[in-house]
Formats: sequence, C-alpha cells, structure tokens
Amino acid sequence: MSPMMLSRVADHLYWMSRQMERAENLARLVRVSEEMLLDDESLGRGSAQEYWTPVLAATAMEGAFRSLHPEPRQGDAARFLTLDLRNPDSILSCIKQARENARSVRDKISDEMWTELNALHMLVTSPEGAELLARSPHSFYEKIIASSMLFDGITEATLTRDEGWNFLQLGRLLERADMTSRFLDIRSQTPGGDSALESLQWGAVLRACSAHASYRRLHGGEISVEQVVDLLLFSNEFPRSVRHCLRRADEVLHDISGTPTGRYSNPCEKITGALLARLSFAGPGEVMARGLHAYIDELQTQLNAAGQAVFEMYVLLPGEVNRHFPRNGRTDALSDWHREQQQQQQQQ
Amino acid sequence: MKLTDYRGANLFDELVDAQGAIRPYYKGVADKLAGLGPEELGQKLRSLELLFLKQGITFTVYGDEQGTERVFPFDPFPRVIPHHEWETIEAGLVQRITALNLFLYDVYHEQRIIKDGIVPPEVVFGASHYRPEFVGVSVPKDAYIHVCGTDLIRDRDGRYLVLEDNGRCPSGVSYVLENRAAMKRVFPHLFGASGVRPVDTYPSDLLATLRHVAPRENPNPNVVLLTPGVHNSAYFEHSFLARQMSIEIVEGRDLIALDGFVYMRTTRGLRQVDVIYRRIDDDFLDPQVFRKDSCLGVPGLVDAVRRGNVALANAIGTGVADDKVTYAYVPDMIKYYLCQEPILDQVPTYLAWRPDDFKYILENLPKLVVKAANESGGYGMLIGPTATAAEIEEFRRRVTATPRNYIAQPVVNFSQHPTLVDGALEGRHVDLRPFVLWGDTVKVLPGGLTRVALKRGSLVVNSSQGGGSKDTWVLAA
Repeated sequence: MSPMMLSRVADHLYWMSRQMERAENLARLVRVSEEMLLDDESLGRGSAQEYWTPVLAATAMEGAFRSLHPEPRQGDAARFLTLDLRNPDSILSCIKQARENARSVRDKISDEMWTELNALHMLVTSPEGAELLARSPHSFYEKIIASSMLFDGITEATLTRDEGWNFLQLGRLLERADMTSRFLDIRSQTPGGDSALESLQWGAVLRACSAHASYRRLHGGEISVEQVVDLLLFSNEFPRSVRHCLRRADEVLHDISGTPTGRYSNPCEKITGALLARLSFAGPGEVMARGLHAYIDELQTQLNAAGQAVFEMYVLLPGEVNRHFPRNGRTDALSDWHREQQQQQQQQ
Repeated sequence: MKLTDYRGANLFDELVDAQGAIRPYYKGVADKLAGLGPEELGQKLRSLELLFLKQGITFTVYGDEQGTERVFPFDPFPRVIPHHEWETIEAGLVQRITALNLFLYDVYHEQRIIKDGIVPPEVVFGASHYRPEFVGVSVPKDAYIHVCGTDLIRDRDGRYLVLEDNGRCPSGVSYVLENRAAMKRVFPHLFGASGVRPVDTYPSDLLATLRHVAPRENPNPNVVLLTPGVHNSAYFEHSFLARQMSIEIVEGRDLIALDGFVYMRTTRGLRQVDVIYRRIDDDFLDPQVFRKDSCLGVPGLVDAVRRGNVALANAIGTGVADDKVTYAYVPDMIKYYLCQEPILDQVPTYLAWRPDDFKYILENLPKLVVKAANESGGYGMLIGPTATAAEIEEFRRRVTATPRNYIAQPVVNFSQHPTLVDGALEGRHVDLRPFVLWGDTVKVLPGGLTRVALKRGSLVVNSSQGGGSKDTWVLAA
C-alpha cells in the first residue's frame, strides 16, 4: 500500500464517489417515481404534488424546491431533481461536482474512469441529453444508472488497491447507506389505509433501491413493511442495505488505519463500529416500536457524524495542523469564489 | 486533401517556395496527406475532436458564466522543420537561456551589467516583476529560469526571429505531447519513415531538471507541482505533467510552512517538500511577502526559499528577464556575458521611455504593434494596421501616461502554413514556442508548440483569442 496521499486528494476521491452514487440513486428514484405517477394519473389517484412532497422531504430538498417553485406545476419536481443547476443536489449538479472532483485528482484515477465520467458529463450537459430526457425519460435515467455502475465496475477493475481506493469505497458506501435510509423514510409518513396502494408504494421503494428482485427471492410477491425494513436496514447480504454498507465501510476504515476490526483507533471507527453493533442486534420490531421516521432520523445523524469524523481525521489533520492553523480545511462560498478568480489571473 | 490549389502569399510560406513548389522536406508528408480522400479526412478529423473531448484535453474560457471548456482547435497538417534549421534554433535557444540566467544572477547579485552601463538601471528597477527582496539571495545551482518557452516567428525571408521569452511559467508543452499522441493514433500512416524526432522524453527531462535543484542531499527528493487549481485555464497541463512525472500536484492549501521548511498535508501526516515546480505567479506565492489577499499561496513559503530549504522552479523574480523592455537588451546581454554574437535575431523594438523612440511611436501608431511590457496571452496589445481610430487614441493615451510600460515593434507579417479551413487548405499565420530546460545540461524539446491564427489574416495566435495548434515535426536528418 502506498504510504501516503494528499489529504485534499483523499477528500476529492471520497466526494467524487459519493456524488456519483447520489446521482445514480436519484436517477433511480425519479425514474421509479415517474412510473408510479403514471399509474396514479391513469387511476385518478392523488395528485402529483402529494406524491412528490415526501420524496423531496426525505431527500432534504423540500425547502429549496419550495423557494424556487412556490406553486409547483406538473414536471417541476422531476426537473428540479434532474437537470436543475440551482439545486446543488440535482443529478446534474452531482455529476458536475463529481467530474470537478475527478479533474482535481486526474492523476490518481485510471484513464478509463476519467473517460467514463467525462462521457457521462458530456451526455447530461449536451442538447442530445436534454432531448433524450424529453423524449424518453426512462432511457435517460437508465443511462445515468448504467454509467454510474460502469464507473464503479471500471474502478473495481482498474484501480490499484491503495488508500485512494479505500477513500473511494468509503464515499460510495456511506452515500449508499444514506440514500437507502432516505428512500425508506419516504414512505414513513405516508398515511396507511389503502393496503393495495401501500404495497405498490413499498414496491417502488424497493425498486428505487434495486432491491425488488432480492426481496421477491426472499419473501415472494407479498409486500410487508416489516420485511422491506428488514431487507433494507438489516440484511447482512443485500449490498445496498444500511448494515451491509456500514460493515464494509467499517472494514475500509480499519484498512486505512491498520487497526484490527472489532477495535477502534480513531473517532470514525468508533462511530461506524457502534452503529454497526446497533444494527447487528436489532430488527424491524425495534424500528416499528420506535417509529420508522424517528429511527431513520437517528440513523442519519450517526451517518453524518461518521462522514464528518472521516473529514476531520484525514483531511483536517487535527493532530498536526490544527495546532498551527485552526480549521482551515473547509471554506465558505465567498472564499471559494476568491480562489476561483485568482486561479484565473495567472499569466503565460 | 487537395494540395494543388494551395498558393503561397506575399510572405514566407512554410510549405511552398516563391515559385509555388513544395519544399523538399515537406514532400513526404504532403504526398501522404494528398492521398486522403475528403471522406476519410472528415472521419479522421471527427475522431480527433472526439479524442480530445473525451480525454478532457480542454481549456476553460474565462468570463464565461457556464465555465465552458473548449477543445484547443487542432490542425492536422503538421509543421515540418528540417534538421539544419533546427540545429540553428537549438543553438540560439541554448545561447539565449544561458545569457538570461547569467543576467538574472547578476541582477540579483553584483549588478555588473548595470554598473558597466550596458543595461540602464531604470530598465531593471522599473520592471514590474523585478523583486528587490531577492537581491543577495542565492538560489540552488544559480538557476533562475529552469523552464523557458521562447516564442519564435519567421519573417518574409524565412529568418527565425525571437518574439518574446517566457521565463516565468510558460505553458503549452502538454499540447505538444498530446498533439503528437493524437496524430500517431489518427494519422499513423503519415509517420512511416518520416524521421520525426520523438518528444516523449520531455516529462522525464523536466523531472531531472527539477531534481537537479533539490536543496538537501537526498537520493529521492520530494518534487511537487504547485497549481493555482482546477479553474486555471492551464489546469489540464498541470495535471498532465504531474501524472507523466509521477509527482504530486498540490494546491497552496495542501502545503504548510513550519519553521522554515515546507510540508504537504497527507493522510499520514506532514511530509517535507524539496522542490516546487510552481505554476502560479510570484504575486500569489506567499501572502506574507507578496499579495496579502492571495488564497493560492503558502504563508511562509518565501522564508523557506530564502533559507534554502526548498527550491522553486522557476525562481522568484525571473519576470525581470522576460519583460518586453528587457527583451530589447538581450542581444547586448549575449555579447556582454558570453562574448558571442546572437545566433537568433529578434524583432527591432522601440522603447517608449527613450525620448526619440517615444516620438517615433506616437507618430507611427497605425503602423506599429504596441505591447504592454508585462502582459502576456495577447492581452494589452495594439496592432496598428488593423486597429480602429479609437483604439489607437486609447494607446496614445496609455503610452503617454506610462512610457516605461510600453514598447513598439514594426508589424512582422510572419510566416503562414497551410491549414485546413472548411475542408480546403488555406494559409494561416503560425508561430513556434519551443521549450528549453536548464538543468544539469540544457535540453531543447525538439519542436515545440506551433500555434496557428485560425482567422484569415490574423496575427494573434493565442488560444484565448481564436488560436489553434499543430503537431511540429523536427526531422532527424
């Protein structure tokens, strides 16, 4: 394993894969949602707005959406989630940020990874991409999902297993855990009652997590909330479950620090370890008793804490640097803008 | 590609002589290009464009809200330089960088050239990139300019003239390497038995040049490339070179100066840095010494340089040598330091601060090219013959206000090269930027960046202003 890597590079790699994963998950979410809405429409069931509100709330974008669209019309929500650059978490924004991060670490990723990410960026920013989205949204989202998965596969097949690889994995796994928990949260506030509709909606959550086939294999066609929660939160085998992602993230963290698993040597390992233990000794029963939304809320607080701990441990270097320069890692928008201006002022 | 319709013009044409005959050293490549049908050619051009776009070989257009990235336009007709011409260019460039480095050492130490009355003091002390803070400070191996990009043009008689020296952070070399790689991929048949000298040793030569100035006895010095960051138009090049040399590309915020040493922040803690190939201007290097508002630099870096604990390439203060007023004195420097006649000629230059020249410039503005002494990239420039009356008046005002800042030169109608424009070959003006490395030995990259002004009649070749580039072939024999 290469002995060291620039802290900023680790940060860029981590965010590059987080943003790719986020774009992929959002693409799946919007695609599934649009299909659901088609059904709703043809059955004269509910309004599009009722449908999108919990989706936007669970992905923490409701406020931003409301301020841009005080009186939303049809298609606004999907556009906002997909190609709107005013939304810093839209699919397009994520892909742009991922590519920007990749550009900063161009020398640390394989040519094939760069080419794929660059091609995806070209697609979503081109007139052809916009045209495809208008003509066949399904194919558009499919392309994004496929490209992200291809990127993951290329990474797997071309990248040396060094620290850079570990930070890439960490970003992807933490984002995946976060997204899966958010998608579960979408339905936590939907009023029950209509059981047929409910099972349709839970089916959509499963599809948004690419979990429908795994679910069917385990439990057949009947959809129960408990079993969906069991699969998406607690499964040790399903690769997108929160527990599975955390187990792997915990392994990656131990690989970075060289500490044996089951012990911890820094705050990030402590957080993931504790969270993993909690998920290993719980089940849907505890979730339902606590309330799905409250349970997920706590989970997300812990996931955020894990991400923050990684940043402080490996990027801010509290031990060595903060002694001299307290907190100079993250910057605000204004100083980012200054830096960008100055970067352009160099001559020759 | 149809060559039979191609005509020279009333200036030096790289491909054809005054009688319209193809020059002998172009025969090989011209025959092969002529054999390409329009369809095949179109297909190849499209795959070239796609190749550049896919690899992200782009530059950022400033002032564009979208942050648009463009592919640097590439023309597939290579420029050919025969062996004997290159020998002269190479010797001339080596002579020039030698004199410039001796000049810089002198200016920052004894200042003999000023005391001996060869260069007037106001030329040196009035140069905006002169750094009085560095007088008396020694730099490793007395090397100031480690990497030089010297712009050459050819006059009506085909003489190579030095247009300017870029001795601060010259860019463009990545395009030399990428253009060659792309040509080999898309036009492999052009190369057969052509005797083109390869360019791909540049990154290892550059690395050797950088390691040469490492300050401590260390068989494996830590060399890094300091970039302004991804928003800089040359960022692609920075990342490309770092990758080719297998060194870290760092931003100012990755470095930290502690007790006179420079370190980089890694996931495993701090690691000492020995040599910094910096691609940011002096002004931004260290907010404690230069611009206070710089967020690209490293506080304390200059102190570490002064103490000799870290080496910078290029050194601080080289801008005094590529100042456009200093340029006028380079032939005198060559005579003074080397007791030699300059091998390469340069463009006659009028200095606005000299009373006679000042008068001449103001009386002849519409005939002259006027340049600000410290600008580059084709900015701050007036091309008299094509300028509007208002632009001429504006420059009259500027020159009068600060004469030290301006020089003027006659318009050199420099050489043209056949260039593919909408499927047909037309003559377009070209210049040449060869790259010189000053290390243990002096190395000149065979060829350099040929830039082409894509607009008909235009003399501005800069990428920011509608320029493109070509592969440049130096023949081995």
